[in-house]
Amino acid sequence: MINQKDLFPKDMGRPDEQLIKLELDQLMPLLAPYDKPGMEPPLTDPKPAWKEKYCTSLDGYVGLDTLTRPKSKEEEDEFVRKFISGLGKIFSDANNGVLEPLLLSFEYCAKCNTCTEACHIYAASGNNELYRPIYRSEVLRKIAKKYFTTSGKFLGGFVGADIDVNWETIARLGELSYRCNLCRRCAQTCPLGLDNALLTKEIRKIFSQEMGIAPTPLHTKGTMLQIKTGSSTGLAKPAFLDTLEFLEEDTEEKFGIKLKFPVDKKNADILVLHNAGEFMAWPENPVAFALLFDAAGINWTLSSEIMGYDSVNYGIWYDDFQAKQIALMQMKVAKDFGVKRIVVAECGHAHKASMIVGDRMSYGDARIPVESCLPLLWDLVKSKRLKFDPSKNNFPVTLHDPCNVVRQMGIVEPQRNVLKAICPQFREMTPHGVDNYCCGGGSGFAIMSSQNFPEFRDAVASRMKFNQILGAFKGSMEDRSIPKYICAPCSNCKGAMRAILEHYEATEKFNLQYGGLVELMVNALVGMKKPFLEFLED
Amino acid sequence: MLLSFIAYLSILLFVGISAHKAYQFAKMPLHGRMELYPVPKEKGFEHGGSFYEEISWWSKPHEVSHVREIVEMFKEILFIKTLFDNQRPFWWLSYALHLGIYFIMAWTILLVAGAVSLLNGIVVAVGSPSLFGQLIFYLSVVTGVLGIALATLGSGFLVLRRMFDGTLKKYTTPQEYFNLLLIFAAGVTGILTWGNDLSFHYAREVTMNLITFTPFTAPGILILHIIIVGIMLIYIPISKMSHYVGKYFTFHTVLWDNSPNLKGTAIEQKVKKATSYRPTTSWSAPHIKGPGSPK
Repeated sequence: MINQKDLFPKDMGRPDEQLIKLELDQLMPLLAPYDKPGMEPPLTDPKPAWKEKYCTSLDGYVGLDTLTRPKSKEEEDEFVRKFISGLGKIFSDANNGVLEPLLLSFEYCAKCNTCTEACHIYAASGNNELYRPIYRSEVLRKIAKKYFTTSGKFLGGFVGADIDVNWETIARLGELSYRCNLCRRCAQTCPLGLDNALLTKEIRKIFSQEMGIAPTPLHTKGTMLQIKTGSSTGLAKPAFLDTLEFLEEDTEEKFGIKLKFPVDKKNADILVLHNAGEFMAWPENPVAFALLFDAAGINWTLSSEIMGYDSVNYGIWYDDFQAKQIALMQMKVAKDFGVKRIVVAECGHAHKASMIVGDRMSYGDARIPVESCLPLLWDLVKSKRLKFDPSKNNFPVTLHDPCNVVRQMGIVEPQRNVLKAICPQFREMTPHGVDNYCCGGGSGFAIMSSQNFPEFRDAVASRMKFNQILGAFKGSMEDRSIPKYICAPCSNCKGAMRAILEHYEATEKFNLQYGGLVELMVNALVGMKKPFLEFLED
Repeated sequence: MLLSFIAYLSILLFVGISAHKAYQFAKMPLHGRMELYPVPKEKGFEHGGSFYEEISWWSKPHEVSHVREIVEMFKEILFIKTLFDNQRPFWWLSYALHLGIYFIMAWTILLVAGAVSLLNGIVVAVGSPSLFGQLIFYLSVVTGVLGIALATLGSGFLVLRRMFDGTLKKYTTPQEYFNLLLIFAAGVTGILTWGNDLSFHYAREVTMNLITFTPFTAPGILILHIIIVGIMLIYIPISKMSHYVGKYFTFHTVLWDNSPNLKGTAIEQKVKKATSYRPTTSWSAPHIKGPGSPK
């Protein structure tokens, strides 16, 4: 193992030995009340059996559970050959949709290191060299220069092509591409406008699109399952309809409200697309949407068609081919349905997938307009179409800004306007808006649960966010009688919140709660006879 | 004569190769959208907002301010604002180098203007009867002295910083030291060549000879300086120091693009063309190429 301070990019090619090991006392310190020893679980070592099977030689964590050690020299060579073949393809017309930004980010890094300060994972790890944004990019550059540039072939180390390329190098690089949330905060600070996240995603793409290696929750149980069944949850149409029926009954039982989800309603103005995970993990979110839209008299519907009731598109995190297939299938379902517009509910990556990534995949009559739910929700408040009683939300509330929606789409104000109007104790995190930090669940981390990966996510990737939360609730954290609500209007971010609150036992110890935006809105509705938020019932 | 040839050729190649690079980027295939906010041309720039903050955004006029975009662009070009905001210690050195280069560019133009003036009988000196001649004289002194000093100090200190900063050292390749040292060498030979005469009469005289292809006796240090500057001018656009080209594209066509694909727009036409393109290379993973994969 190397002292991380002495780690160089070319060390990725060292023989089979774990490069670095994270230690709890070296991580970024947490704020009070988590600043005392024993307040967080220890970091664990990878199991010996994992070392035999997977690539634990990076930092001991396994994110790429389909990347297994070769059994022969031939397999080893084939693995390297495939990677190099894929690396060549990212610079070819097979990658036209990214070619220009990729070449710019690949060519022009001035190594000024400005990006480092912006990275939450680097800071959370206690400034560990391995997680410096340019570390990963530089390894990729060195390999690409070695194989694909004339200067690299002739001048070698002089131009930086000084890395040994073997199974370990490539496998470590694959793992390292899953130590970045693709939040693009570093790109925001680059004086040359370059994007380390883009280079990270290209590594993930080579692994998936060329080598067929991607985390199971993203690929086999993610995009592949969605293409097959219509949802990455595996929720088929009959089960989806059953779930809605159950939620209707449950809503009546709990709140005395007769709710009927409109399904496949012809002539509806709006098709609402939820992340189907909401129906399983946070059903109160789609219920709250339904209650608000019904109360406001909006002509809306859900779809029960395959691909029509799950907005997710995990492809945007690791595989352009999968992303395109899913985006086009989703658009086709909506188009065939005949609605005027699609409204994407509280799911950040679905916002980006359908409005930004999918924006240039089709044209003309094949498309219908897509918009975010957030401006619509703010309009319900601003126009006074619905009556709210802010005193029902009289507890500390802070807002997490999902990177996809805020930094990458510029939807900044509507959600905070709603909170300012209906939550008297709303306070911002520092920093917030387009300068926010990722929740640590971005780019698939929230659903990646193989081996010990959740430990890396919770202790490192989400650490900065947890500190931001502790900072926002400073002064009221230790009073258990005060519920403190983290509003995260994004399914993936909620997944990360759920994980960190469990990891730090923060709900149990400090009454730290989390949820979406619509839940707070319904909770404050004048017509609601009892609290919609369960934790207020105690 | 040979020095004149080197001077003309290197400037021509600098401009030509830079323009060629810009053309190469400009004709690249349409890429997916990758904006990052705040986007200066957007109405909600102050808080980092976009047209997506509006209900039915596609049915409303997309209000953009190109003036604000140009203002932000100039803040980047003239002051390297992002570096100033995010990494002040590095900015001092980097800005010294860049500002020095800007001054040297201005100085070069002023030397040519001075030389042309001399050829037309206008005296370029302190007591010149021509106000224009005086102006050229003083501006040449200011830009020349500041330019050469800042560029030389900036490049020199950047080399030292890279050598002695534990982090930067790890990521700096020998070629990157070479890039900075080349500028430093141009600066040092410049100081040795022009340093004795800060009124730059000698520099103007040399410029006059160079632009008119007039043979003249050049000392060794001047020959060395012209050769180094010539090599530098040709090398910059082929190296990553051509980021003055790249930066335009990273900001304008990638991070600040923000052109949604709406019916009847130029983007729609580009999307149409891009989606009909059939790549000559394809990916090999089983879910893309294997049996049962979509055709």
